[in-house]
Amino acid sequence: MSGNFWQSSHHQQWLLDKQDLIRERQHDLSILAEDEYQKIFIFFASVIQTLGEQLKLRQQVIATATVYFKRFYARNSLKTIDPLLLAPTCIFLASKVEEFGVISNSRLITTCQNVIKNKFSYAYTQEFPYRTNHILECEFYLLENLDCCLIVYQPYRPLLQLVQDLGHEEQLLTLAWRIVNDSLRTDVCLLYPPYQIAIGCLQIACVILQKDHKSWFAELNVDIEKIQEIARYIINLFELWKTYDEKKEIQGLLAKMPKPKAAPQR
Amino acid sequence: MTTAYMMDYEFKMKTQNERIKVEDLFDYEGCKVGRGTYGHVYKGRRKDGSDKKDYALKQIEGTGLSMSACREIALLRELKHPNVINLIRVFLSHNDRKVWLLFDFAEHDLWHIIKFHRAAKANKKPVLVPKGMVKSLLYQILDGIHYLHSNWVLHRDLKPANILVMGEGPERGRVKIADMGFARLFNAPLKPLADLDPVVVTFWYRAPELLLGARHYTKAIDIWAIGCIFAELLTSEPIFHCRQEDIKTSNPYHHDQLDRIFNVMGFPHEKDWEDIKKMPEHPTLLKDFKKNNYVNCSLVKYMDRHKIKPDSKAFHLLQKLLLMDPNKRITSEQAMQDPYFQEEPLPTQDVFAGCPIPYPKREFLTDDDQEEKNDNKRQNQQQQQTQNNQQSQQQNQQNNQGNQQSNQDNHNPAKRVRLSAPQGHPSQVNQQQMPISQQQQEFHQQQMMYNNGQQQQQNFQQRF
Repeated sequence: MSGNFWQSSHHQQWLLDKQDLIRERQHDLSILAEDEYQKIFIFFASVIQTLGEQLKLRQQVIATATVYFKRFYARNSLKTIDPLLLAPTCIFLASKVEEFGVISNSRLITTCQNVIKNKFSYAYTQEFPYRTNHILECEFYLLENLDCCLIVYQPYRPLLQLVQDLGHEEQLLTLAWRIVNDSLRTDVCLLYPPYQIAIGCLQIACVILQKDHKSWFAELNVDIEKIQEIARYIINLFELWKTYDEKKEIQGLLAKMPKPKAAPQR
Repeated sequence: MTTAYMMDYEFKMKTQNERIKVEDLFDYEGCKVGRGTYGHVYKGRRKDGSDKKDYALKQIEGTGLSMSACREIALLRELKHPNVINLIRVFLSHNDRKVWLLFDFAEHDLWHIIKFHRAAKANKKPVLVPKGMVKSLLYQILDGIHYLHSNWVLHRDLKPANILVMGEGPERGRVKIADMGFARLFNAPLKPLADLDPVVVTFWYRAPELLLGARHYTKAIDIWAIGCIFAELLTSEPIFHCRQEDIKTSNPYHHDQLDRIFNVMGFPHEKDWEDIKKMPEHPTLLKDFKKNNYVNCSLVKYMDRHKIKPDSKAFHLLQKLLLMDPNKRITSEQAMQDPYFQEEPLPTQDVFAGCPIPYPKREFLTDDDQEEKNDNKRQNQQQQQTQNNQQSQQQNQQNNQGNQQSNQDNHNPAKRVRLSAPQGHPSQVNQQQMPISQQQQEFHQQQMMYNNGQQQQQNFQQRF
């Protein structure tokens, strides 16, 4: 479905308004500070990334799973479904949609257990608590909340085309690609079309590598203001990373995070 | 850390209350119109009467979200074209974990339409249809496929049963391409396509390059299938009809199917298809086939036998759709520009061009059908005695054609290994889940019926 972004559900339904996003998060932001909220999403983006790598998924699949995750919480509070359950559910659904093939239930659960134990023990002291039936139940809720919009456009393809047009520079592509990965830790995938994100990431990569492509960028027929906004989100992320020690802070943040509540006791 | 609750109770209750159930919105009980590997299809009406339209409700086989269900939902959610089936909504039934898809109801499909023509032809009572009907059908198929292809979606399983035609109503006589369950994006295959599903396209509509082991599906493969469908519309016979024993082999190479193609088309010359040498199964081809066996075969002769003149525009276009070399095969875009469509009669939006629709409506299937089959032994004799009316004949024909490759096996039912899995479509009666012994019983039952003095027409149909 790469032919028609403009008619896609991504464009028509899932480019959200920044004000809406703030409104939807009001509940969570009454409990968490804005940077705390972002740090939690940075953490779960890493969980999804690590799970995906362990399952040998392509970056495209991982990115789609991350967008599902962000779309779900763009409409729902963190307390509705435990993000530790939603993260692998997003991986599971994205792998089917992106035709990686179905990940077997047992392999998914085992991978979750290993990843939580070996890579995220600084965040979780107990073992991964969910089983296949939880993932399957969660998957229906996820699909409903996504309104069955499963095809997600990613910045990777436009990025490849842009770099090619620039006269293929390997170093530039590698860096810009990594910045696109980093952009999944921000809200840009909820707010801007992927080709704009690609341009924003490429621009940052040019600045970092001190490559002057100003005239080339000027010739692109894009809304420069939007590109600057995207770049701002990503630079803010980099700023946040400078002073943020996830290993120290995440347990406290997860403890503070709003959580699902059981049925009221009678 | 305290025990985590996976889901918030309040959230769960709220979504549960807001969720609309398919059975609350639609009446469809007892209105099953199709079943097969894809699941069950019902003809439904809105309970609140807010419109009087018919809807097709497809309950996907199995529970939960299989990969093909995911693909179908993901793709149909994005696709919008007058000649592609429109997914109106998805129902998720949390209790039994069933997935339901809601579509507009299409009364007809090419499988039934062609079957009707074949029966009429055998009866020597030709069907009266508008002169341009085949042309209109082909044009709309091409239009829909062009849309899919330009959106980087391959159908991969085009066959008459997947080409629906709308009945009376605002979209009268409009083609709807259906059954995208196996359709996939192809601009950036994450896995080689052949790895996913061993065999996808029904062999009769499979392009020669697939039969020779091509690893990747292409637009050209869909075009070949459209060529096959076009030929079948023109002649009422599947052009590459071939007896098949086991359709779900993981080996793409299929000797009999290739033999059939060469019998119609002639053996491909290297000058016509240079890359044939590069096909994975090319060595097998050289080993198994002698081109001298096909020197007298050509599409011209085949179509001429079926009264399609080689100098007609229809034939010229068919020839371009059915080119053996996939690189030379026409694209959907080019095909739509073909002189055939500029010649009178011009294609019409309503393929029936306002004329009465001669084809019967879909019949409801009863769950008894299934039980009948299961209870075959017991009911066998009784049925033979009572089944002398036309309806039961029809039923039998239908059953038989659902497993298309059963034909020509009449002389030796024991040889039949497995029934086809029509990916299909509401209309197909499919017995594929039946154990082999029961299929054979049913088969014997049919044979006896023919011996009981059925008309010759039935034999003819049986062979198809």
